[in-house]
Amino acid sequence: MQAPGKKSLDGEAGCIQSARLPGKGSESKDFSGQRPKFDREPFSRIKTAPMNPRDPAQDAQLSAALARCAGGERAALRVIYDLEASRMIGVALRIVRRRDLAEEAVHDAFMRVWRSARSFDPARGEARNWLYAIVRNRALTILRDENRFLSTDDDDKPDIPDLCAEDAVARLPEASALRRCLEKLDMRRRTAVVLAYVHGLSHGEIAGKLAVPLGTAKSWTRRGLISLQECMG
Amino acid sequence: MSNLDRNSESERTLAAEYVLGLLDPPAHAEAERRLAHDPHFAREVEQWRTRFAPLDETADIVSPDARLWSRIENGIATPPAARDSEPGMLARFWNSLGALRAASVAGALAALLLAVVSIGSLQYARQEAIRKPIYVAVLVSDPSKEPGAVVNAFADGRVEMIPLTEINVPEGRALEIWTLWDRQVGPRSVGLLQRARATQLNLENLPRTGENQLFEITLEPATGSPTGRPTGPVLFKGTTSRTL
Repeated sequence: MQAPGKKSLDGEAGCIQSARLPGKGSESKDFSGQRPKFDREPFSRIKTAPMNPRDPAQDAQLSAALARCAGGERAALRVIYDLEASRMIGVALRIVRRRDLAEEAVHDAFMRVWRSARSFDPARGEARNWLYAIVRNRALTILRDENRFLSTDDDDKPDIPDLCAEDAVARLPEASALRRCLEKLDMRRRTAVVLAYVHGLSHGEIAGKLAVPLGTAKSWTRRGLISLQECMG
Repeated sequence: MSNLDRNSESERTLAAEYVLGLLDPPAHAEAERRLAHDPHFAREVEQWRTRFAPLDETADIVSPDARLWSRIENGIATPPAARDSEPGMLARFWNSLGALRAASVAGALAALLLAVVSIGSLQYARQEAIRKPIYVAVLVSDPSKEPGAVVNAFADGRVEMIPLTEINVPEGRALEIWTLWDRQVGPRSVGLLQRARATQLNLENLPRTGENQLFEITLEPATGSPTGRPTGPVLFKGTTSRTL
């Protein structure tokens, strides 16, 4: 039986498949010269919202809300929920790929935020970074648990269909340093890094996706991260 | 490149791999520990989070289901005993799930129980003793005797529940997990779930799990049983057996 995802993967030529090509040319070719069209949304039911640039005032608001959560004020958790829950579900959905699981991840994340609000220290980092790290962690835990359930029978194995690194990169603002630096990376390294961050792929899954040995996937990811750090400073 | 540079580079890569979620469970746990105690490492992690944060903004905005907030609100009103477990622990038991699931399709309860225990112990024998459950309970559906979940109790007191089948949870209801080790005391709630998924059970305040201890899953209101005792229908139940 063909998995439903297989079909759309074949149609993904501009995305995963080109990343799989071994050619020398693709190594250094600038991505902007051959950007594929993204006329297909990964989750068609959901509308893409306009970009919401990070706002220091909003981070201060989140930080204050976390301090109130630490003091046991439930209304403060609702403030965080109203500001961030819908984006958080979007972030979790790209990882767990199921709406109910994405909400489960966000639910778990809010439980965690409530319990550990006291451990958030604004002197050590941004509130948003702290919150989204929790959401991604919960989503990753759910994803790995779900994958493990399915891993006995190969038929059951999730195919991780139509995951597209370039989609997320194309959505970054043109002026963003992250975008500029990601686009400077060799496409395969960029794909490895972005699929790991955006879709929560493990080294093994990245290796499968790019059809390379595990060690190669690890080293591409690592080199991608080193170049990224050098570029972004 | 000097050794110092190489060290800081590998530190930085480690921080990045932690942020991406690429570390294996032991390395991830170690990074988490360092994050709390090592300001230098914490700074590297924060820098990576900031670098990648713009990618979070590229996620779609997805309006939450109206029930999500009430679930969260109920969760923060519930006393810790009935709450969901701390995350991260399950990762350590991944290796056992495959074997358990393979066993689950076997069918008859006796065969299944035997298979779970034997396949389980074959696999665990190759791993550290800490990963081997000392007690396993297969929870079966009352009328059909079909297996619905497995409970594993480990030597260090941790207990996990792994569902083996989809469980239909109607709106406004939840799955509550109970254990009974002493009829005098009665059943105690050890977990509340909105849907069937693997979870760590909360038995910290209870006596150590032993042989022939009853576990059951009932259907309760979304916030858990109002009486502190099972009120809804029993979906699955079973008792623990000692592993070989």
